Amino acid sequence: MRARSSQTVLLAASVLLGSCGSQPRIDTVVRPASSSPLVAIRLLVRAGSAHDPPGKEGTAALTGLMLARAATKLRTYPEILDDLYPTASSIEVRTDREVTLFETVVHLDHLDILTDLLVESLTRPAFGDEDFERNRDQLLAELDTVLRTDDELLGLELLQQTIFSGHPYGHAPAGTSESVAALEIEDVRTFFDQHYTRDRMLLGVGGGAPDGYAEQLQRRLAKLPSGGAPDALPPAPELIGRHLTLVRKATSGVGIHLGFPLAVTRTDEDYVPLLVATTILGDHRTFHGRLIEELRIARGLNYGDYAYVEYFHDPPETSSPTPNVPRRHQYFSIWLRPVAPQLAPFALRAAVYELERLIEEGVSEDEVETTRTYLRHRSKLWALDGSSQVGFALDSRYYDMPPFLEDLDRRLERLSATEVNDAIRVHLQSTNLQIVFVGGDTDALRDTLATEQAPLPEYPSPSSDSRRATDRDIASLSLDLTSIREISVDELFSVPAL
Amino acid sequence: MRALAGAGPSLAGALCIALVACAGQPTGAESRVLTAPLFEHQLGNGLQVVVVPWDSPGVMAYATLVRTGSRDEVEPGRSGYAHLFEHMMFRGTPRHSEGDYARILRQLGAEDNATTNDDRTLYTILAPATALETIMDLEADRFQNLSYTEEVFRTEAGAVLGEAHTLSSQPQIALLERLREVAFDHHPYEHTTLGLVEDIRAMTEGFEYSRNFFHRFYRPENTIVIVVGDVVPEIVFALTERFYGSWERGYQTPAVVQEPAQTATRRETLRWRGPTAPWLAVGYRAPAFTTASVDTAAIDVLASLLFGEASPLYQDLVVNRRLADVIAGALTDHRDPYLFEILIRASDERHLPAIEGALAEAMEQLREHPVEKELLEAVKSHLRYEFALELDSPLHVAEDLAHYIALTGSSSTVHEVFARYAQVTPADVQRMARELFRSPSATTVLLIPGDDRTAAPEAEP
Repeated sequence: MRARSSQTVLLAASVLLGSCGSQPRIDTVVRPASSSPLVAIRLLVRAGSAHDPPGKEGTAALTGLMLARAATKLRTYPEILDDLYPTASSIEVRTDREVTLFETVVHLDHLDILTDLLVESLTRPAFGDEDFERNRDQLLAELDTVLRTDDELLGLELLQQTIFSGHPYGHAPAGTSESVAALEIEDVRTFFDQHYTRDRMLLGVGGGAPDGYAEQLQRRLAKLPSGGAPDALPPAPELIGRHLTLVRKATSGVGIHLGFPLAVTRTDEDYVPLLVATTILGDHRTFHGRLIEELRIARGLNYGDYAYVEYFHDPPETSSPTPNVPRRHQYFSIWLRPVAPQLAPFALRAAVYELERLIEEGVSEDEVETTRTYLRHRSKLWALDGSSQVGFALDSRYYDMPPFLEDLDRRLERLSATEVNDAIRVHLQSTNLQIVFVGGDTDALRDTLATEQAPLPEYPSPSSDSRRATDRDIASLSLDLTSIREISVDELFSVPAL
Repeated sequence: MRALAGAGPSLAGALCIALVACAGQPTGAESRVLTAPLFEHQLGNGLQVVVVPWDSPGVMAYATLVRTGSRDEVEPGRSGYAHLFEHMMFRGTPRHSEGDYARILRQLGAEDNATTNDDRTLYTILAPATALETIMDLEADRFQNLSYTEEVFRTEAGAVLGEAHTLSSQPQIALLERLREVAFDHHPYEHTTLGLVEDIRAMTEGFEYSRNFFHRFYRPENTIVIVVGDVVPEIVFALTERFYGSWERGYQTPAVVQEPAQTATRRETLRWRGPTAPWLAVGYRAPAFTTASVDTAAIDVLASLLFGEASPLYQDLVVNRRLADVIAGALTDHRDPYLFEILIRASDERHLPAIEGALAEAMEQLREHPVEKELLEAVKSHLRYEFALELDSPLHVAEDLAHYIALTGSSSTVHEVFARYAQVTPADVQRMARELFRSPSATTVLLIPGDDRTAAPEAEP
């Protein structure tokens, strides 16, 4: 099939496979077929870490691993690896707070192999002891070697845990060292029985899938039982005051994260205005945005500075929003990449300064027009491949909203600066913040942060008087910290409560 | 191989592939890898242009490949300049200030990026295809007329130091840096693309050197423009004549010292202050990338046999005995002789000797026993489809092409590689295992947690 225009390829409505009489079904979204020989399949299951039983954090993630990287009742795991190897495809699994995602991209030549494996894995898992121990070790390794090691992922995760402390979102999908070590195979079986039902699944198919393929696949998966555990979530915790968490870790720089709960999701009228506002403040991994212009470009403080209106998955490794991490509770955040330790107090104040400037002064019509145009074009690059297209379509279904990218474009088109500034005034604030510092000499940082004035940065070249004046204003900005807590990196992710 | 091939959550490799098998010498017509045709043009000043019409309606990827990387940093104290220069390329020209450039790309909604490695620097822009002329105007201008002040240079040098801070927390990066430092004595591959910390700190004083760097290396005969997407080749070529035609030649080849043979094994232990799993890194001296023979293709096959998820070593270490959770190994493609790098993350420090033993045994198997033909075909199939799965966007196609062109300067390399894969025999694999895995050419670095000697960089004074 010859390519369509960019508008229709990216914005074409997905087909929802409707119900056929009383046959059990899985809610399925089908993207229009393309000329690609690659088929994209995604299965979203309402079985995220928010559903972990108390004291058994990590159950959802471990269950996902036991389905995607373990034996079935028909094949051992080594046999599965042997069968998959010539295809170069695999079933990838990722657990977030509300969902677990299973995804694969496979060449048409091997579609049958991956389809059989996907169905077999979901409907006939073996839940064997050897696979269980290996996958449990895998989760523990993720806590030890990824989260505790990678400063940026550590800070990004810890910010979520501080904002949602005590809430089902308040722990990492990988759980804690203590809880994961105590998990048993029966925990996985129980979780699977309660959450892996056809009513809790969304299936997406796209790329070059043959006609009728999606229907066949959903029928095979629809043999799963119906029903499942309730899916209610408590509201996000109330945040009062500014709270700083210092993480003791031997690093050469200090990573800085700050944020607060945000009662806005993609379905809300204020989502698009706030998306524009946060893009103006700090567009993800570009050189646009007040934060990066002031911190990196003008002052050379660090590598990058960004702001977000919703959870953004794995920002160090991605340049566009990753689909299939939907959440009913979101948070506003600012991410400052590592700065030299002596600059950390200034950098934090600079971020708060820009946030307050955004709130007090708002944004101009020019800024909104530029950003609106930019986002309308840029969003069309977010889903160029079949798998991403399926992913965004699934999210739209999860949120029960029109196709996201099409809807975003429509809402951007009619957006006004007044709406953006109204949304800023309603939803953004700087009084109540969770702040996380990762690394540096925490004693020295604590002492410096307790003073009224941050040390001024020193520049390699002479700077202008106006720059210096602004620096003094920033440095003297009062932080009014309500609490400062220190924690060693070794203690993090060990036990459920921070 | 393009990257470490292996198994594990964070080190899965990627490798390019033949979609069509070929016999005899690799040629363009019979060994076609990409199903989409490549169109080529060369300007009088040596600039090469490669265009691939691709099914991405309304979208194109515009890539500028400069065949200069950290390998070209031959002067002492100047490591990291290829990467720093990648940063400087965004700092404006007399015609388009830095702000202009950013504003124009922003209006287009374009996604731009740049990366530097040992052998090349690549600048990419993903944008509406209708913006071809605008993009080309911008790119041609900055590659010919880049201009920045010393103040701007010093500020950007600070940002590079910030990037170094960002990466410094990851022990496996420190491990791979140390592996290279120990394995190489003379060749610039001794240092990584980011550069030595002391050289990065000194960069603020290198303004004049940076200008010299630009004039020596950023020249048309050292550069290739690659455009993939909803474009017409003839139009692209005509525009390149208009925008790049006046770019003057002047590339100066750096005097890269070749590394002599390694005559004894090298071994070191690195202690990491902070939480980390134990890591094992091993490097075997290996040949430069070539399609003149099947040698490096056979090494790529070897890597898959050793470290793929279906390999006996993976089954043993990761699935059965659970001594490690990540294993990876490959000869990443390089212009000069490099290392076959192996990276293993152990589940416990006490498992390291057993892991080394298992690795040695697996290598011995490949040295002594030819691989079964059926398994060899499975590896070839894996490599073939792995590449096919990458071809999901114009940007990825451009990046894959750029990878191979950077190594040889020729777009036909991408076809030749896969023709060579198809030709690899069990005897080839066994021969390369014997040539590669010889103990005198091995360098081993262990990274374990501990405080005796920190491997975490000191904080800025």
